[in-house]
Amino acid sequence: MIKISRRTFLKASALAGLASSLPLMMNFGDYTKAAELAPVTRIPTMCNGCSSTCSKYVYVKNGRVWKVEGNPIDLKSSGRLCARGHGMAADVYGLGRVTQPMKRVDDNSFEPISWPQAFEEIGDKLYKIINESGGNSVMWLGHGGKEHYANTFLDEIGSSNYVTHYATCFSSKTNVWDRMVGTTLNSDFDNADYMLFVGRNFAGGIIPGAMNRITKAKERGAKIVVVDPRYCELAIIADEWVPIRPGTDLAFFLGIAHTLISEKLYVRSFIANYVYGFEEFWSANKDFTADKAAEITGIPADKIREIARDMALNAPKAFLDSGYHGLHAHYANSTQIAMMNVVVNALLGNMFKVGGLMPGASISLGHVETPARETPEKGPRADGAGVEEEYPTVEPSRGIPQIVPDLIKKGRVKALFIYHYNPLRTAPDPEYQKGLKDAELVVSIPVDWNETSLHTAHYILPESYYLERTEPPKVVSGFIAHDNPQIAVRRQAIKPVHNTLALLDMLKGITAAAGYYNLYPFTVEDEIKASVKPLGISPDILMETGCIEFPANVKPVFPTKDGKPALNTFTGKIEFSIGAFKLYGRPGVATWVPPLVMPQGEDEFRLIHGKQPWHSHNFTGNNPYLMAISDKYNGTWMWINKGRAEKLGIKNGDLVTISSEKAVKTVNVKVTELLHPDCVWIPSPYGGFSEKLKTAYQQGINYNDFIPARVEPLSGSVMGQEVVVKVSKGGIS
Amino acid sequence: MARFAMLIDASRCTGCNACRIACQMQWQLPPERYYNRLEHNEKGTYPNTKWEITPIQCMHCDNPPCRDVCPTGATYKRTDGLVLIDSEKCIGCKYCMVACPYGVRQINYDGIPEKCRFCAEYIIEGKMPPCVSTCMNEVRIFGDLDDPESKISKVMAKKAVYQLLPEKGTRPRIFYVRK
Repeated sequence: MIKISRRTFLKASALAGLASSLPLMMNFGDYTKAAELAPVTRIPTMCNGCSSTCSKYVYVKNGRVWKVEGNPIDLKSSGRLCARGHGMAADVYGLGRVTQPMKRVDDNSFEPISWPQAFEEIGDKLYKIINESGGNSVMWLGHGGKEHYANTFLDEIGSSNYVTHYATCFSSKTNVWDRMVGTTLNSDFDNADYMLFVGRNFAGGIIPGAMNRITKAKERGAKIVVVDPRYCELAIIADEWVPIRPGTDLAFFLGIAHTLISEKLYVRSFIANYVYGFEEFWSANKDFTADKAAEITGIPADKIREIARDMALNAPKAFLDSGYHGLHAHYANSTQIAMMNVVVNALLGNMFKVGGLMPGASISLGHVETPARETPEKGPRADGAGVEEEYPTVEPSRGIPQIVPDLIKKGRVKALFIYHYNPLRTAPDPEYQKGLKDAELVVSIPVDWNETSLHTAHYILPESYYLERTEPPKVVSGFIAHDNPQIAVRRQAIKPVHNTLALLDMLKGITAAAGYYNLYPFTVEDEIKASVKPLGISPDILMETGCIEFPANVKPVFPTKDGKPALNTFTGKIEFSIGAFKLYGRPGVATWVPPLVMPQGEDEFRLIHGKQPWHSHNFTGNNPYLMAISDKYNGTWMWINKGRAEKLGIKNGDLVTISSEKAVKTVNVKVTELLHPDCVWIPSPYGGFSEKLKTAYQQGINYNDFIPARVEPLSGSVMGQEVVVKVSKGGIS
Repeated sequence: MARFAMLIDASRCTGCNACRIACQMQWQLPPERYYNRLEHNEKGTYPNTKWEITPIQCMHCDNPPCRDVCPTGATYKRTDGLVLIDSEKCIGCKYCMVACPYGVRQINYDGIPEKCRFCAEYIIEGKMPPCVSTCMNEVRIFGDLDDPESKISKVMAKKAVYQLLPEKGTRPRIFYVRK
């Protein structure tokens, strides 16, 4: 199939034809003449190969996408794109896409229906559910993004149930930084002299602009240290890889903090002026020395002290990167890990300092004025996030996605909208997640036949691919310190290939059919116009350039008001002690919390996972270009430490059986010296089980198969690496 | 006349494969055909290890064995240094594939043993090959060695460089930064 479509395209594309049909010694004039035959248009838009949404240009000829390039203005891409950015552009023609609205007719089959029929049937069912069970029984479960569309609807019906995927990814980070610092801060790669990355692989979970800055920093002499159980891709360019026993990062951070404090290397003026709760922290952790950290982490105490001293020497132009997925959802102590990230950086006095951690540049977009509507009072959140007697300290704005099947069983959720999210593959325990199907109404809005749509949706409403739709502009920010605010826009590059719609148009149709008239009295063009109005630029300029940078407005100054610290926290200071945690009977400061599980036996390992540079966590797995890279480099193989493998008689490329209480699976292994002996590592894109995604189907295995759906009580995360697996040579007999 | 060449700093490569796929898109190759690849090499024993990655593609040799063995003259050396294939003359005998010590030729669907072409039609417009321009770590520098002001000339003047398999006498136009 692929071969045929590719060939057809070659015939249709005059410029590619030119390469083989014209003499190669042609001169410039010949080339220009030939190029004129195939008009190529370059359209600025935003990528969706991952959630970094880099700005990029799409080259279109003969109405088809040819290739993409990074937009040099954009902070995230810096004019460069990763493999996903290229590969996922081609996926607009992918064979896994849902091509029209679908209705489940029995267990395994769907029938195509028209958009009007889909709206009418979904609207009718929604109307009935809201009348019988109240608006709060409706849940919007999504990856996260385009909240304003979903929330307009949820506000109208009185539902508080907007739930994102973040608990499977980084919820302890956002929970903690918001409480301790009142904001998140970004690493100043451009100016730092020392960078410590712990459990954060920028070369795997790629932001091209960040990697570009990191390699340039190295070129100018900055020191880069990577602490990770795996010699990750970032370690390749680091000055040093420091392997750590998986699950013990908290102890490492406590050891760093102890060294900084006990050796009086911390910036005392910064702590005195801007930190609340230092004494409480220190009295709780006085005995947690670098030696104690060494016992737990397996990193020599001298190395821990050396890192702390080197950081202090370079402060404030030194930082511990604030991290992302790696450490912030996967351990019983992930919340304390996030707290220690704040503590270590604050001890270095690097916050709001050049070369340390800087705030994002702010800019406010306008929005469409709509007539005020009377909205009902909202009920309690079904997932218990922020609810007094359930999970009071979990952020309600993000929620607890992994327990939704329970909420359906309890009768709290009757109608479920799943938007751009595939919990059957990206949340723990897929068999349990199949319980999503038992809601009275399940509507999935994907672009492809993902596992969740195939196995649980009653209706599948395919969204137009990101290259086929225009969306309101977004502020570009996060992870990379940059003094200039930027905004970027996603612009439609080609006509929809299939019978798909943009989310806004679907919501207009569904809500109208459910009796909520004119809930979205605007078009996306109106939204774009309103967004840029306060910025003094025309929508046309934005649509022509795709990404616009504004004058710098970030200053390396701690925020103050009337001479007093004025962070968005209770005291205005950085709070080492979190009042809300104390209120609910937990320590306010970070202290040592052991991991839930530890491997013991000769055949036992902690199962950890991570991103591969050419894949996102999951939804790139059906892309033939990206999977061809996996094929070439044995990308689906599980990593195992060579010494441990030898003891089990396992050789490189062998099939092994891996089992936990939840699953038994077979996979090939890469036997390597690049991994800590205590763990096995699985790249996260694999283990597809949707028969309709033929490229991804049954390729490799997925870590989510091996873990139960649990909730870390403070931040709500899945604790995805708190699992011990047994590994044995040979496949399942 | 230009003298095109490429300088690769392999120590900057973190294996993302953007170069491979940007090239595939540029030339509309199918997923399993590619003109550049990465050689992975793991050294040492845990925990004293190293992971090295070396990008490989057609070296555009000044003494190309693929040209020398071609019975029809389909493979030729352009005056600016590019090694290219005239597909009209190619009979698909694959001698060039066997002769290339770098293993960079791949049979395409027309039966032609294709390879990296240094983006022949684009560089004469002053554009960069996409394997160069898409790389977040700026592993590759492409340019004209006859132009002393070009980036490649300036960087090569400062750094020690080497070529792959010098003993083959191929005199590649791709240089690597010595570690």
